[in-house]
Amino acid sequence: MSIKPKIEVLTPVFEDISESNMVSPRPNSLNKIKLGLLANGKQNSQELLEMIHEVLEDKYEFSSVVVRNKGNASRPCPSYILEELANQCDVVVTASGD
Amino acid sequence: MKSFVLTSRRILFEDEEQLFDSFVSRGWTDGLPVVPPTEERVRAMLLGARWYSPSDIVAIEPVKGRAITVEHVSINAVMAGCLPEYLPVVIASFEAMCEPEFNLHAVTASTMGSAVLTVVNGPIIGRIGLNSGVSVFGPGNRANATIGRAIRLVIMNVTGARPGELDKATIGHPGKYSWCMAEAEQISPWDPLHVELGELEGSSTVTVFPGLSPIPVASSESEPEIILSEFIDAMFAAGVEQDEVIVVLSPELISHFKIARWSKRQVQQFLYDECQRGYRDEKTRAVSSPGAVRILVAGGSAGGFGMVIPLWGRGSSNSKSVTKPIRVD
Repeated sequence: MSIKPKIEVLTPVFEDISESNMVSPRPNSLNKIKLGLLANGKQNSQELLEMIHEVLEDKYEFSSVVVRNKGNASRPCPSYILEELANQCDVVVTASGD
Repeated sequence: MKSFVLTSRRILFEDEEQLFDSFVSRGWTDGLPVVPPTEERVRAMLLGARWYSPSDIVAIEPVKGRAITVEHVSINAVMAGCLPEYLPVVIASFEAMCEPEFNLHAVTASTMGSAVLTVVNGPIIGRIGLNSGVSVFGPGNRANATIGRAIRLVIMNVTGARPGELDKATIGHPGKYSWCMAEAEQISPWDPLHVELGELEGSSTVTVFPGLSPIPVASSESEPEIILSEFIDAMFAAGVEQDEVIVVLSPELISHFKIARWSKRQVQQFLYDECQRGYRDEKTRAVSSPGAVRILVAGGSAGGFGMVIPLWGRGSSNSKSVTKPIRVD
């Protein structure tokens, strides 16, 4: 009986995930953390974040809150905003809208 | 070729059915069967651009910072069914799409759902058999079908813009399966697109556009002004003051412009002047300048048809078309 040959193929996907592309460690609690809120510039994204902020504030106490709007939903977030949020926040919530 | 080491991870399957099922479940295909990217096939594909090493970086996707290598492109080109001689076109397309002004991330992630229209110009059209004629946006031509498909597979697999993941298109676009065309330069009385955009005559290029849905326009008239008047409504499909919009003209329509000795510039100027809407002094134009009208000549010999293809971002700073030369040796 002949053995059916197997097929070996190369993976077609990007697998070289560097540290900068990895998901940050999740905090154990949202209490006392530095919160960032980033709207993506779409209509209602700011309003949605404000509502999320209100809901979160009912449950947690934040040591600081940084609110930013990247302005143009179609373009990447400016690097100075990303750096600001990365340097000043433990957790960032971002919101789209329409 | 400097070196020939393929570094992608290998996976073993019992047979092609198991491979296809696995690729579908992992989101590695467009839903259609693929050619298994065996090492032998990938090596043969790489010979289509032998001046590169597999590890050479074609481009870095600007938002996610992912380096797209010649090996990535070759594997996906095999899956799409490309011949090796098509590979330089796919590579040049990514060099173009990864320029920041094209804004590939947003173009592929947007809820509006544009597709990348790749337009090929120059002698490579004849060398690899790209279709610029009958059913130019339809099925049946291997080069058009598989180059466009390879581009989409790389977008999905390497940049990560899979439907439902990073690709958030609300309704989507059929051109996301494949959308590649050549311009019918031999039919056109005018400079082809790439020459108009400043590339050398005789060079081969790709120009990538973030295309929205094409809108067909029909005209059985022969006077240029009347023919072009049929395009006015369609020119407003994506809004006003567009900085770029494509107008495709078929050979039959082109024959009327030839007889009337109209230049491309006259066509662009007419559409700029006549595509106006509003009341009294409050008028807005469909395009911001005559040069915003990108004329492409393509299609079968029979039929007075054209198309308007509006663009995601309307040619604004949100996304602009990009042209790159195709390296062929």
